[in-house]
Amino acid sequence: MNVEGEYVFNGPQQAVYDMFNDPNALATAVPGMQKMVQVDETHYEGAIFLRIGPISAAFEGVLSLSDINPPESCTLNIEGKGKAGFAKGVGHVKFTDLGNNQTRLNYSGDVNIGGTLASVGQRMIDSVAKSMIKSGCEKLQKTLEERCQQK
Amino acid sequence: MTGKYFGQPVLRLEDKHLLTGRAKFCDDIVIPGMLHAAFLRSDYAHAIIKNIDVSEARKHPGVVAVYTAEDFGDYWKVGPLQVPPPFAIKGAQFNARPLPPIGKGKVRYSGEPIAIVIAESRYIAEDACEDIIFDAEPLPAVIDLEKAWEDTSVLVHDDLPSNMAALVKQEAGDYEAAKKQADVVISKRFVADHVAGGAMENRGFVVNWDERTQEMTVWTGTQAPLPLRSAIAGRMGLIENQVRVITPYIGGGFGPKVMTSQADDVILPWISMKLNRPIKWIEDRRENFLSTTSERDQVHHCEMALKKDGTILGFKDVFYHNTGAYDPYGMTVPLNTQTHTVSNYRVPSFYTEIRMVFTNEMVVTPVRGAGRSEGVFVMERMMDLAAKELKMDPVEIRLKNLLKKEEFPLNTGVIGQDFVVGVLDSGDYKNNLEKCIQMVDYEKFRKEIQPKARKEGKHLGIGVVAFTEGTAVGPYEGARVTVGNNGKVSVSTGYSTQGQGHFTVFAQIVAEQLNVKVEDVRVITGDTGHFHWGAGTFASRGATIAGSAIHSAAVLVREKIFATASKFLEVPEDQVELCEGSACVKGHPEKFISLGELAGKANPMRGAVEADVKPGLEATAYYAPPHGATGSGACAMIVDVDPETFKVKIERFVLVHDCGTVINPLLLEGQIQGGVSMGIGNAFYEKMVYDENGQLMTASFMDYLMPQATDMPRKMEIGHNVHPSPLNTLGIKGVGEAGALPPSPAFCQAVEDALYEYNLDITESNLNPSMLYEFRNKATKR
Repeated sequence: MNVEGEYVFNGPQQAVYDMFNDPNALATAVPGMQKMVQVDETHYEGAIFLRIGPISAAFEGVLSLSDINPPESCTLNIEGKGKAGFAKGVGHVKFTDLGNNQTRLNYSGDVNIGGTLASVGQRMIDSVAKSMIKSGCEKLQKTLEERCQQK
Repeated sequence: MTGKYFGQPVLRLEDKHLLTGRAKFCDDIVIPGMLHAAFLRSDYAHAIIKNIDVSEARKHPGVVAVYTAEDFGDYWKVGPLQVPPPFAIKGAQFNARPLPPIGKGKVRYSGEPIAIVIAESRYIAEDACEDIIFDAEPLPAVIDLEKAWEDTSVLVHDDLPSNMAALVKQEAGDYEAAKKQADVVISKRFVADHVAGGAMENRGFVVNWDERTQEMTVWTGTQAPLPLRSAIAGRMGLIENQVRVITPYIGGGFGPKVMTSQADDVILPWISMKLNRPIKWIEDRRENFLSTTSERDQVHHCEMALKKDGTILGFKDVFYHNTGAYDPYGMTVPLNTQTHTVSNYRVPSFYTEIRMVFTNEMVVTPVRGAGRSEGVFVMERMMDLAAKELKMDPVEIRLKNLLKKEEFPLNTGVIGQDFVVGVLDSGDYKNNLEKCIQMVDYEKFRKEIQPKARKEGKHLGIGVVAFTEGTAVGPYEGARVTVGNNGKVSVSTGYSTQGQGHFTVFAQIVAEQLNVKVEDVRVITGDTGHFHWGAGTFASRGATIAGSAIHSAAVLVREKIFATASKFLEVPEDQVELCEGSACVKGHPEKFISLGELAGKANPMRGAVEADVKPGLEATAYYAPPHGATGSGACAMIVDVDPETFKVKIERFVLVHDCGTVINPLLLEGQIQGGVSMGIGNAFYEKMVYDENGQLMTASFMDYLMPQATDMPRKMEIGHNVHPSPLNTLGIKGVGEAGALPPSPAFCQAVEDALYEYNLDITESNLNPSMLYEFRNKATKR
């Protein structure tokens, strides 16, 4: 499954980038995310509860960062597994300073899914992923605004 | 040979049980103390098993036992193969990789069982499956057939040098020489995609080992009760009569239930004996989609050599056949494809090559059609191409090449699934098509209806195809017919029933011979305790093979009735005749003895008993054919295509069929209609889709589209030709798969004809509106 899109944040590039590297910010932003713990500089462990059509199940996994090029881009590697299957994916995120205190996020990724997730859920997973990214970004936008105000 | 009962449209005797909910199915079996099983199946299509941790599952309250491959010790053995390798064919190469009972070392398809939980209830068993931690190292999946044949970088079976499961070449005549003589040579690549059996009732298995009687009883919806019994006895080290397999009513078989080496077949008997408890397992729909076998999935590279006038000189077909991760059912499916590719037409030279490939997909075994559909599809598509190339009418080119009555029997020179050289026994294939175009009024459609519709902006198209159905292959079946003391008759056969109507047609055969009412004949199928020799339900062989055995047994009982009655009525045998339910003196119906009383007398209790006594009005007989009997037919379909939405409505559906002697015209029509609905499903609705990682994307009826009654043509117009088979006394040929064979190619031809503004070139057998849209977009304008 390919995921691709963009989102424009109202905030400076560095702040957006930092937020994406903050496990707490991510944990609160992703719908259903139950925990996100930083293991080392580039590795996080997380747990998420997903609802995809007839499937609702918990998944646990590892998120690792590579090709880190702050504050412009990085690569996310996700590997997760649960009762309803597994997912393994690579995502590339790029942050572009649009000026005017705006930063554009471009993301593109390729996710392989297996198990019930694929055999029963695949028809819905695309739209679920898109809506999760959208609401995640909206939530992050709010966090970003709060952070900028605090500063 | 229509008689009082034989050949009559007798209503199905079984329907009163089935339609009023009184039929007993596998899941209706309840035994005190019964445990329930659930399988944990691999999410990965291809992975090395590193560890399966069942410790938490074992602690789950209500769980009695959890097993993985390691726990079965020496009992864990692959297979055996259910069908022997094709070594009757010269030069055939075959790599036997039978089914492992439960994954060990490596999993090779998504859905392969890796652990089993036995618990007090199915709910608990399912919950405990979730406590199992399956640690595996995923490997890339082998999916693309043509690539997998060449590419050895990823191997489904590491001990083999490639993904080749088999290579079988057959040639009748000399294709290359024929090609040199040809005016035109056309070639094309075709795809026939995966479809499911999709029986209404999934698989199920209830097993009870009785420690005190030392007997095992199994209730299961199998198509092959006797092979299953022998397989279980063999694995468990028991003698055959210690295992009794009973098939209750079964909600459809369609092929996949012929398997006797799937996880449930192998490990549940062992566990039942180990725990000394009855166990039930009922498959759920997702398991059925993922792990019970399915069929089709071939890629064909065809070539046809013809003369300018449309005469076929030769045909060449090199095709890839997906066997899935294992090949437990040998090569039945692709061998059927080989024999059906050219069996309609006069093809002097035929070269055919099977390249059977292992992939990380579910195992392929027969599903109604069983390789025949693919053969018919590619041949009929090539005929359409040839007609276009030679600017001939598709009907004209077919009539030119179809086999005629006087050409039978015809030796095809190609060895089939029964490992003997095929012989087309009888028929008039050309006349089937002639009758079909008459029924559909082809001329009128071409000259009046279609031009008028086109003027009105409608897109009506017609497709006309021919087909054969190889049926009734060996090895043999048997039956025992017994007259009871109450005058009723029982018939036992090792054959099993999945809804075909055997309780009616087998009764008709016996009723005709013994002159008893059809409803007074009690038919028992698929209970190894009642009859313990036979092969099973496959290849449309029931009416022909089991039916012939039943007929022979009934004839023997009839003879016994005459001999016994002659003694008691004190007249010579030729003075005895059968009145309904009794034997009487010819011309003196008042001098009679009822069959019940005669049955009692045929069982001498005391006094002078002859040394060679054969008690009872009973006989057992067997029938084994020298080779299969071939049914044939033709089919025409008129479709109305919406050129924007690509919705296709079947306006008319005509099928002419020849299955030799008809036992029951009503049931014959039912068989054809059922087959046709499956064929239409394959043509425009059903399709199993795997992604590039070997994940099945269509494992529920949300994504796997089953055709509904409303998708069927309003009326199926069915015509009959009757050319009795010379192979058996009754002259029967099978019909079970016939209807499923012609819809796909007829549909393609009709749609191409309907969308006349384009040079449409449909090369796939499983279409849907969006695929049609894509084919249209690829096509050039006329």
